[in-house]
Amino acid sequence: MNSMNSIVDDLKGKFDIINVVFPDDMQMAVDVDKNDVHTVLSYLKTIGYKQLSLMSGVDWIKENEFEVVFIVFNWDNGIHILLRTRLDRENPVFRTITGIYPGAQYYERDIHEFFGIEFEGNPMSYKDLFLELWDEMPPMRKDFDPLAYSQDKFPERKYESQFIPEVGVIK
Amino acid sequence: MKEVKLFLGPQHPGMHGNYSVHMYVDGDIINKARPMPGMLHRGFEKLMERRYWMGNLALIPRICVVEPDPNEMVYAMGIEKLGKIEVPERAHWIRMIVLELARLANHLMSIGGIGAPVGLYTASYWSTADRDLLLDIFEKITGARVYHMYIVPGGVRKDLPEGIEEEILKTIAYIESRLPEYYDLVMKSPIFHDRTVDNILLPEEVVWELGVTGIGMRSAVNKEYDIRKVKPYARYDQVEFNLPYAPYSDAFTRVRFKYIEAEQSISIIRQAIEKMPKEGSVRAKISTGNALRWKVPAGMVYSCIESSRGEYGYLIVSDGSEMPYRIAVRGASYPQGLLGVEKYLPGHRIDDASLWMDTMGVCAPEIDR
Repeated sequence: MNSMNSIVDDLKGKFDIINVVFPDDMQMAVDVDKNDVHTVLSYLKTIGYKQLSLMSGVDWIKENEFEVVFIVFNWDNGIHILLRTRLDRENPVFRTITGIYPGAQYYERDIHEFFGIEFEGNPMSYKDLFLELWDEMPPMRKDFDPLAYSQDKFPERKYESQFIPEVGVIK
Repeated sequence: MKEVKLFLGPQHPGMHGNYSVHMYVDGDIINKARPMPGMLHRGFEKLMERRYWMGNLALIPRICVVEPDPNEMVYAMGIEKLGKIEVPERAHWIRMIVLELARLANHLMSIGGIGAPVGLYTASYWSTADRDLLLDIFEKITGARVYHMYIVPGGVRKDLPEGIEEEILKTIAYIESRLPEYYDLVMKSPIFHDRTVDNILLPEEVVWELGVTGIGMRSAVNKEYDIRKVKPYARYDQVEFNLPYAPYSDAFTRVRFKYIEAEQSISIIRQAIEKMPKEGSVRAKISTGNALRWKVPAGMVYSCIESSRGEYGYLIVSDGSEMPYRIAVRGASYPQGLLGVEKYLPGHRIDDASLWMDTMGVCAPEIDR
């Protein structure tokens, strides 16, 4: 816990941190403005957070915002930092972090596909990854209804009960 | 120069799961590789948002086919962290036994599985037969062979059946006696040596660039980087085990590490059976009333454990309702399976492509989800 507090003090002294919470021991969630993400991430990388464990999105539809979560991990002290930032839901645009963590390339494609968040500077982010020929809104958004989609896309078909023609009895 | 496009997968004996790589080859050297995931995309993350917390238990083991137990464990751990639930002592030890049995089964499968890309099919027949003995134990403990749904939030589903400890000890003693034979069969084989020694290298910079974890990381950075050691969960801080690490990672090293880790798993299971409390509760009460209508306090937490391929984690977001608000899955082989294939498979030969997939530990179902 001491090392966590010293990291928090360090970050608060250097950057504008909106909020810090501790979901678990050895884990902290840091909220920053979207313009500060890149500087905070590159600073974290210099102090040992060399691994990007996960990058993902959350759709907060009531607040009309997307949240992007970057989880970085330091293997030497075992602390996970969840760096979170909020984007406007109407025009979700963010700059790529592949310059800092090259491994983020496919996470960004993933988020672009499932949430529709654009990552400027990642040329691959517009390509289809998991959902080839997808023609609806990004499916992980909360207002996407999979049931309605599948009913619309795959309408119920009627099967006739007697699909095998009658066979004459061989005498 | 003439370039030819070849498809590795989605149906191919050298591929694990329905996963495809488009390779542009010149002669037998791969010039360009494009990973094509999506054939196993079943939409788990969306499905989980539409089911109750308890109902998801039947769904999550299916995310990774060969090693389902880490899914159950990270899900349970995340909910316990959000809900501040204390797990009974005995349940911690039972979880450890189940997780290590699963790791052992998975290592056996991959030690045998390496036989397919190098052409040593005997190994895969042996290991499939031996892994079956572990599945028999799972069947006795949990009632199911592959998807156990055994580790639940608050503990484990039910107590161990009577006399299973002796049976586990007997089976792992048999597997321990078999491991040297596997070593003789696979690791000493000249066919295997020719294909793996100094082939498919994984330097330390690439580990950090991609975010590779697990055996790949430990064999490259020369440090004991394992979640079980760095931030112990369950009761891993009370058992003794040593993990292999090395500064030079080729295909041979990574396969050799699987043997050593299998031996360590056997040792952990023995210690756990010896040290665990012999009786007591195995499941904390998590709700009053209908378990299906059970609610988890609002919050966001990342829970992770060490699976046999590396760091496996869930980002769990709850808004305090009966269903999860969002769950994101970090498959352990996501980094090397996508960016790794695109950047570092080129330069290898066609016949090494499936060996690359195998020794890097690419598991398609957890990439697609």
